[in-house]
Amino acid sequence: MAEIAETVLAHGVGGSTDLPLPLPYALIGGVWALIVTFAVVGVAWRTPRFDPAKPGRALPPWVTNAVNSPTVRGVLAAATIAATVWVAVAAIWGPQGNDNALPGAFYVLLWVGLVAVSVIVGPIWRVISPVRTVWRLLGRRPGARDGGDRRRRYPAGFGYWPAALGLFAFVWLELASPDPGSLTAIKIWILCYAVAMFAGAAVFGSTWFARADPFEVYSVTVSRLAPFRRNPATGRIVIGNPLDHLPTMPVRPGTVAVMAVLLGSTAFDSFSQSKGFRNFVDRNGAAVPLVGDSGGGSVLRTAALLVFVVVVGVSFTAAARATGGVTAEQRRQLPGRLAHCLIPIVVGYIFAHYLSYLVERGQETMVRLADPLGRGWHLLGLDSSDVVYFLSMNPALLWTIKVACVVIGHVVAVIAAHDQALRVIPVGHQLTGQLAMMLVMVVYTLTGLYLLFGG
Amino acid sequence: MPPMNIVSTLGLLVSTAVVAAGCGSGPATPAGSSSTEATAVAAPSAAASPPREAAGPVVNVTIAAGVVTPTNAEVEATVGQPIVLEVSSDATDSIHVHSTPERVFDVQPFPGQRFEFTVGIPGRVDIELHDLNRTVVTIAVKP
Repeated sequence: MAEIAETVLAHGVGGSTDLPLPLPYALIGGVWALIVTFAVVGVAWRTPRFDPAKPGRALPPWVTNAVNSPTVRGVLAAATIAATVWVAVAAIWGPQGNDNALPGAFYVLLWVGLVAVSVIVGPIWRVISPVRTVWRLLGRRPGARDGGDRRRRYPAGFGYWPAALGLFAFVWLELASPDPGSLTAIKIWILCYAVAMFAGAAVFGSTWFARADPFEVYSVTVSRLAPFRRNPATGRIVIGNPLDHLPTMPVRPGTVAVMAVLLGSTAFDSFSQSKGFRNFVDRNGAAVPLVGDSGGGSVLRTAALLVFVVVVGVSFTAAARATGGVTAEQRRQLPGRLAHCLIPIVVGYIFAHYLSYLVERGQETMVRLADPLGRGWHLLGLDSSDVVYFLSMNPALLWTIKVACVVIGHVVAVIAAHDQALRVIPVGHQLTGQLAMMLVMVVYTLTGLYLLFGG
Repeated sequence: MPPMNIVSTLGLLVSTAVVAAGCGSGPATPAGSSSTEATAVAAPSAAASPPREAAGPVVNVTIAAGVVTPTNAEVEATVGQPIVLEVSSDATDSIHVHSTPERVFDVQPFPGQRFEFTVGIPGRVDIELHDLNRTVVTIAVKP
């Protein structure tokens, strides 16, 4: 049965995928997106409302103390290390087929689960990241800290580009590699990730994790939508309007690239399941020289994935720059200063696309993790009959949630973009200056709905 | 300025809808000849007379000289309905049904093999031929 693992599985974890969105759902969602966009641009507020400096509502002191507590952070980090070791044991000594827990833990719990947690509680990967924990432990060795001063400063020009590359490497493995479900491929990917993280940290110190760890940058990015944040003045943990939090996304080289990879890859995931694209890959895969049939398919998927990412990045950059009344230098800065407005679209679309996947494949993965070695264990009493397929059993509910996620993400993005436009675009150009951005966001949302509809 | 925005965005919506409609009806004519057969048998449950109501789709799959027909066909079924694959092959292979849970059928090198299964969880179920690395048909299983 071991050879089953070689099959091309949907997203590397197998099972069925969501039924496509019926046309009425897609159309209603699209119309709402349009109406709200128009209302925001045409009749909404004329002075910026959202401000990261707003104090928010302070939570009781024990919350801040708990978040700051080295004990709490240590326990979370240790728990993540334990979970990582658990998955590693399952990956290496568990059943080497479809029943292995590694693909589910990697593609579902880590990739999608990290978004769900970060968007609620904040940039948690910084606390639990296993590579950071191991690095900290290594740093405790006597003498290890002495090297700190000799480390190079991380070049500001690199920005988030290493993370954008890492994120692309992840989505490539999941969506475009010859066999996303291959345990060997996932193990090699994780090994490369660990080597890249430790090698970079050896040169640049722990700044490297903040800029280059794809999971950390992913977590930090979506965490700007979290209701919880730290008041920059007092250090207290506060609860507040996510729209005040959103503009705190650091503007660095590569910020737009990170968004483009996240949004472009999710759209490509829908697109690559369409009949037309599959036929195209089947017919032309063998024509790619040197790599064989499945390798040729992978080359074509890689090219298409790259096209999706580049189209998102270029269209967003162009739309952000399309305004009058700014100097050339200001124009260059606009895409970065508006990049955070894409976060709600990214998060909305990711939930629309991966919600059932997170809930249902996530449960299946937990069942597999309860029997890591394939010995018929039922740790914590978990059994595959316990998995609840409520979302799949109620497609109308799932479709409604999907459309709601896309439309709400779009609306929040449009509101954020309008507000930021009032801040960064000079008076007199504020209405015309944001039209291109609104148009591009509408195109993203309608394309997203169209792809969920199933093209 | 706002009215122009409305016009352009509405135009976009209409064109998207047209494209969507075009694509929805388009894929009814796939590459292989037997795939039209497969899609023709595909939607009996709605219009069929009472005795045939339980009958699900039958997909005829031919594997000859390393080529499988149909590929990437689309078929509909409902939960619990028996889905039948009629396979005629000149080689051994295995068919993977990406339902929840997954199923595997072994294909032998002779005609007239019949594999029947039901799907309990709604969703899009890909049926793949493992050795040839092709998606034969995707079954949209509705509740």
